[in-house]
Amino acid sequence: MIARQLLAAEGGNEFQAPGTEIFDWGPLWDGAPSWLTKPTLIVALSVIIVCGFFWAAFSKPKLVPRGVQNIGEVGYLFVRDQVARPMIGKDGDKWMPFLLSTFFFILVMNLMGVIPVLQLPAPSHIAFAIVPAAVVYVLMVFLSIKHQGLGGWFKNMMFPPGLPAWLYIILAPIELLSTVILRPFTHAVRLFANMFAGHLLIAFFASVGYWFLIEKLTPLGSGLGVLGFVMSVVMTGFEIFVQALQAFIFTLLAASYIGGALHPDH
Amino acid sequence: MVRAAMSKEGRRPDPESDSDHRAFTNAAWSIPGYLLSGMAVYGGLGWLLDRWLGTSALLPIGVLVGLALALYLVYHRYGR
Repeated sequence: MIARQLLAAEGGNEFQAPGTEIFDWGPLWDGAPSWLTKPTLIVALSVIIVCGFFWAAFSKPKLVPRGVQNIGEVGYLFVRDQVARPMIGKDGDKWMPFLLSTFFFILVMNLMGVIPVLQLPAPSHIAFAIVPAAVVYVLMVFLSIKHQGLGGWFKNMMFPPGLPAWLYIILAPIELLSTVILRPFTHAVRLFANMFAGHLLIAFFASVGYWFLIEKLTPLGSGLGVLGFVMSVVMTGFEIFVQALQAFIFTLLAASYIGGALHPDH
Repeated sequence: MVRAAMSKEGRRPDPESDSDHRAFTNAAWSIPGYLLSGMAVYGGLGWLLDRWLGTSALLPIGVLVGLALALYLVYHRYGR
């Protein structure tokens, strides 16, 4: 990818930092359907990996877990005890199928950013962050109306008890905008921006290393090239951490929105 | 918050204090949304008034007022 990018810029003798074009992927091969691109392939692959993993882990469960089942159970317990129960409460277990699949789907999509050859976190295309966030948003609206009623939902959202009446007129628009409009937006953008920036950073350091050590090796530039290679390894490690963290935060917020819809009084 | 619940009741937090944990997490993640929202609502209002009246000072004033109101809202919802 980076090599191709640099070849494209070969005309010039100056180093060119990778830009947003590293996210543009056309159809996989000439004549392929226009939707069949690298990002969609990565999403499809993530679905298969997540389904396959849980099939392997839980299709024939044993009382004493071994191998894949062990990893699956650790993952399940993590999501249940760190996300579902603290955020939703006693009825959190009911939401485990949704939260567990959300967490692992996003985690695998993110980790695709550090898998050699694939090397593209799918949510670095904002569409793949918008769709899960939209699913959570629709679910939140549906549950809020179901459990609080349409009027009750807006009342709980816009009129927190204990304020003088004239303040409500001033504060209610802020509440409305932040909950109904900004919430799905920040939910999606947080995931997208982290993946986008991380991918760009790794690509930048890797191309610095490639350019100054391989493409245009000079005594002066070699130090910079070594720094670029070292930093791309460091950033890859850091990205693995960010990718896991963002999958966790996305799921945590989804659970928090569901919990808020079910128990508005908290 | 958890510490306050512990000292008040003199025992370790049990599953009941999960709601404290939730309130804390909710607060931590909704503050940016509230701040953005406050600035957008009252900054937007200031911008509209600016266009209408031909002034230029109401947009920054509106942004600051919105920010202050959003902070007050956060304090009211989660701070006490």
